[in-house]
Amino acid sequence: MPETKRKHRDETNHRRGHSKPNKNARKKKKTGPRLPSSLQKELDRLNPTTSIEIDQDIDSADGDAAERELLPQDFYEYEEQHAEEESKKNKRYDPGSVDQLQYDLPIERSDESEDEIIQSDDDNVDDDDDGMERTGDAADGDSSEEGDGRHTRMLQGITGMPSEAFEGKKKRKMKDDVIPELYPESEYNPSRDVVDGDGQISIDDLLNPLQDNPGFGKLRKRIQQIENNSKAIHAPLRTADQAKVERKAAYEISKKEVTKWQQIIQRNREAPTLLFDENIDLGFSTVGAIASEFEPRTEFERKMAALVSDDKVMEAYKKDAYDAWQVSVEEEKDRQSRIAKMRSLLFRHEMKAKRIKKIKSKTYHRLLKKDRLKTEYSNIQMDPEAAKEFVMKQERLRAEERMTLRHKNQNLWAKRILTRGLNSQDEGTRAAIADQLQRHAELTRKMHSMKDSSSSSDDSSDGDDEDAGSDQEMGSKVVGKAIEKTMKVIQDDHETPKSGLLSLPFMRRGLEKSKKAAVEEANLALQEYKDSKKKLENSVGSEGPEATSISGRRVFGASKTQISDAGDKVKSDYNYGSSDSEDDLRASKNGNIETQGSNVLQKDVNTDAVLIQEDTDNHQESVFKDFNEIVKNPGPKTTYEVSLFVSDTWKKARNRDEKGTNVKKSAMPSGPVRQDIKDTEKEVEEDSDTDSEGQMVDGILTSGSKLSYELPSQEELIRQAFAGDDVEDEFEKDKMEILNVENPEPEKPVLLPGWGQWTHVQKKKGLPSWMLKEHENARKKREEAIKKRKDAQLKNVIISEKLDKKAEKLHTKALPFPFTSKEAFEQSMRVPIGPESNPATAIGPLNRPEVVKRPGVIIKPIQFEEVNPHEKAEQRRGDKHRSKKNKGSGGRSMKKTTA
Amino acid sequence: MKVKVISRSVDDFTRERSQDLQRVFRNYDPSLRTQEKAVEYVRALNAVKLDKIFARPFIGAMDGHIDGVSCMAKNPTQLKWIFSGAMDGDIRLWDIASRRTVCQFPGHQGAVRGLTVSTDGRMLVSCGTDCTVRLWNTSADNIMELSNSTKNSVEPASVHVGKNAYLAVDHQWDSELFATAGAQLDIWNHNRSEPINSFQWGSDSVISVRFNPGEPNLLATSANDRSIMLYDLRMVSPVRKMIMMTKTNSIAWNPMEPINFTAANEDGNCYSYDARKLDEAKCVHRDHVSAVMDIDYSPTGREFVTGSYDRTVRFFYYNSGHSREIYHTKRMQRVFCVKFSGDGSYVISGSDDTNLRLWKAKASEQLGVVLPRERKKHEYHAAIKKRYMHLPEVKRIERHRHLPKPIYKAATLMRAMSDARKRKEERRKAHSAPGSVTTQPLRRRRIIKEVE
Repeated sequence: MPETKRKHRDETNHRRGHSKPNKNARKKKKTGPRLPSSLQKELDRLNPTTSIEIDQDIDSADGDAAERELLPQDFYEYEEQHAEEESKKNKRYDPGSVDQLQYDLPIERSDESEDEIIQSDDDNVDDDDDGMERTGDAADGDSSEEGDGRHTRMLQGITGMPSEAFEGKKKRKMKDDVIPELYPESEYNPSRDVVDGDGQISIDDLLNPLQDNPGFGKLRKRIQQIENNSKAIHAPLRTADQAKVERKAAYEISKKEVTKWQQIIQRNREAPTLLFDENIDLGFSTVGAIASEFEPRTEFERKMAALVSDDKVMEAYKKDAYDAWQVSVEEEKDRQSRIAKMRSLLFRHEMKAKRIKKIKSKTYHRLLKKDRLKTEYSNIQMDPEAAKEFVMKQERLRAEERMTLRHKNQNLWAKRILTRGLNSQDEGTRAAIADQLQRHAELTRKMHSMKDSSSSSDDSSDGDDEDAGSDQEMGSKVVGKAIEKTMKVIQDDHETPKSGLLSLPFMRRGLEKSKKAAVEEANLALQEYKDSKKKLENSVGSEGPEATSISGRRVFGASKTQISDAGDKVKSDYNYGSSDSEDDLRASKNGNIETQGSNVLQKDVNTDAVLIQEDTDNHQESVFKDFNEIVKNPGPKTTYEVSLFVSDTWKKARNRDEKGTNVKKSAMPSGPVRQDIKDTEKEVEEDSDTDSEGQMVDGILTSGSKLSYELPSQEELIRQAFAGDDVEDEFEKDKMEILNVENPEPEKPVLLPGWGQWTHVQKKKGLPSWMLKEHENARKKREEAIKKRKDAQLKNVIISEKLDKKAEKLHTKALPFPFTSKEAFEQSMRVPIGPESNPATAIGPLNRPEVVKRPGVIIKPIQFEEVNPHEKAEQRRGDKHRSKKNKGSGGRSMKKTTA
Repeated sequence: MKVKVISRSVDDFTRERSQDLQRVFRNYDPSLRTQEKAVEYVRALNAVKLDKIFARPFIGAMDGHIDGVSCMAKNPTQLKWIFSGAMDGDIRLWDIASRRTVCQFPGHQGAVRGLTVSTDGRMLVSCGTDCTVRLWNTSADNIMELSNSTKNSVEPASVHVGKNAYLAVDHQWDSELFATAGAQLDIWNHNRSEPINSFQWGSDSVISVRFNPGEPNLLATSANDRSIMLYDLRMVSPVRKMIMMTKTNSIAWNPMEPINFTAANEDGNCYSYDARKLDEAKCVHRDHVSAVMDIDYSPTGREFVTGSYDRTVRFFYYNSGHSREIYHTKRMQRVFCVKFSGDGSYVISGSDDTNLRLWKAKASEQLGVVLPRERKKHEYHAAIKKRYMHLPEVKRIERHRHLPKPIYKAATLMRAMSDARKRKEERRKAHSAPGSVTTQPLRRRRIIKEVE
């Protein structure tokens, strides 16, 4: 109970001096972080300070003592160094010792405040008002509650009454402001009623009796001063709480300290690339620098160093070197002048050569050459050595010629010219070739001249031979001429007119055709010539069997067999535009091979075929395309042909069974004309009679039938065409099939005896309910799935929902993490970054990795630098390079080490 | 009449040197190359496959310890030197290039639990269960001298004896301070024999400590009471404590983001925290099937490596929930410590089988000198791989890894368990009044509370 009393007394005391502490609290704020006054009051109430109250000694005596030790010494109370007992305890309530109390009170207050300041200095919290206050807030709340709780608990423990009783009491007390008196009322312990109307003793009350004393004025002044400057004092917290508050404050401070990194961290995280390889101090840059760092370590090295750095040795060395390189001034000058002279000579010569080379005049060069030759010749004549040389040169040239045959039309150029034909060349080239040959002859003739005479006799014998076969030769020569001429004709007619009437396409085509014909003719002629030449070369009298076969034939007969291949080809290619004579030609050719009768027959056939071909040709170009066609069945050998017409008259359609191949051949070109108008085909089929053999069908369509036939409408046609097959039904079937594949129907529940059930139950009830249920579920699921399909509502469409596995590889299942939308993700992969699609200047930035570091370079931890938080992102992008540089220099200073 | 002539400047087609490539002039009109996207997709696919073919991450093992390797420290100034401490008290300096021991640091009577090197590389600090903190002079000259002479061991520069075993040590960046963790957190100076400061909050021993390299006054510790604590050397007291459901074995600060750190947890996950908001993890990195023993950030700050009790080493991106790579060998046992090399292209792991193993940080990276054209090609491949990595085929090939059977099984099991839990939660939610059942995200679920 005494404790409680004391507490309440504290409280009341505190209230008495209500106005002052408040003021003081405000003042105190300037010195350091302090709790708000209200909270502090609360704190004070709960953790009573004994400094104001008289009974300091009770619980916080030791703490106070410590505080007192720290008091400044200029207060005279402490200069007196009274014993605690003397100053306070013994004369506590003695009115006689009021002066003691008087001094005590204000001084103590100021002391306390000093104490506080010291404490705050320790904390380093001078400039952190807000943080302290906030933390103080929380702490006070806690501690007050705690204190209250403890108090009530204690009361409970003592009295054994429920805590509510005390709570009520506390409240009431606080209202009533009751002061329980510890001491009996007496004149020494005056109750408040006695002393004052409101029972409060003020300083003035205490001072009044002292008015007469000598030092009063001074004292009063002092008190006034103290009152003006006094500050509120608070009790120290419990050490645990104190530590907590300290930690909180410290945490706030270090938090704040660390927050300065925020900007740098953010910038680094947002940067596309972190560069750690800049500003590398390479240390030694040159060999010299490295060498200069050398320090002799071992004894041997030291000895060497001593020798090397010895002054005498060095001097001698230098001197030696100087002597060795010593050259007299005259010598040097001489050398230089010599060199200069040589140079100038060379230069002049060069210039002259250049000038001469530049001269274009042919005569000049001719004269020059002549001059040169002259001098050479004279040299040869004058000088035996030169003559020898000349001979040697000539000899060498000859030898070379013999070896390489360079001038015997062996080089590429000459070969090319020869393959092209010498005749087609211009004069110059021919002359050049002739020249070459002449040169060759010259060189070789010299060789001949050097040889013995035996070769010449050979030559003569050759000439004899030539003479002997002269008549033959003559004939062959004529033939050769003819060949040459025909060749010329063939080769000459190559250019086509580029403009005018003849350049029109059809004209050109015609020309080409005629030209081809001419070429063919020419070839024939050529062949003939050659043959005749051969014949001439062989015996004239003997005639081959071919000649006999030729007899009795028309003009071309003789060579036909020989050129059969070529002619055949030509014919097959150009039988559209071929004339009658050509047909005859072919027929006769065929006739050569087969019997006469068949020949005649075939000739007929052929002409027929040609006729038909002509017809088809016409029809292709004609307007009436629809019904005019030749349809060929795909079956082997089975060919039917619709003979068509131009006028209203019938054309005969003949069955050509035996000559099928032939007909086929002729029908071939019209193949592409075939059109897919099935209805007409059908009709043709309907109309046509089937052959007994079943192989051939003769479709006959006449204009007469056309007149009677009403053209059906398109729809009707289609319906008729597809009368047999139900396409829609088929389609539906297909769709169902696909549905079944993609959403398979659930399997029907099957009873496996002994599985999933007890046998006797199974016997009784048949299929178990869960099986049925499952099946039903599966069925429902399938129906749902089918309903959900994209093509569920579309009758005529099948949209497969089977996934494309190859495409699947190129899609992610979900949107990857950093991306917020599908578009952004796709955008990120859109533009290629490879070297094939980007210029070299763009590849670097495009491909730069997130972290660029260099192996072997130690990376030091980050160092603080100021970052302007308001720097715009765009600006930064613009000055990317610069900022990076900055970063490198400030943020990370690297150092090269020897690794 | 206007005559159009194809004119090309000679300069464009002339090579400076005969070795130069002929310049090719192309028409970049996209309408001429309609198949370019398809071509690039195929290229991406091929690049991914090639990556698989060239994936040979294991470079070599460093054999020499006679007990499990418990801790390692890299020299901040030397790329090729790494220190390792073993459970038998042996400390060795390795030359990674030749994979040999350079020298040894005998003296510890018990297991060495912590190693760290000062920023200038001149001082090695080790601590162990023999209650001593030892400082060794490891300046380059000293070591070179040692390696030249026949003597192969170093005497400690100073030995400080404490009351309790030390479990971890870390050095502050660019200063003379280092912190040891044991019964409490001690801050030491090189030149003092007594700790200059001690922090204690709670009674459980601190098992790991790590300074923030970017913000050198901040440090984080984890303790046996499943807590992670933050300290600020400018303050007199610890700053903040956060208690999780399971113990945190190790902590690594992101060297490029000084506000973030990642904690390697006993439950097989790693939790990335923002030091300012400890009530929720920024990211949970899952995949290990057993406790994560150690963690180290790449100096680029973009990824980190973890070593686990499940005998694997994994790589994570700083912001990804799952690992990008897993390394394992038949002979590698429980991994106790991992370290990135200073240039971020190698990783060293120390394991129970007494070996240190050297790995490439990127399994299919080409070692040695890379010519500019090669580099461009690699970059192009990387770019198209990144571009098409979401497509199923590319993704499948890229993600496919062969796992040891026990790990595969354990992973499947864990997945099944988490699925079941999730399912149960969903059902519970579905069958109760709306709003009455709330689920905590994993980022918050494993945190018990934040202590002020």
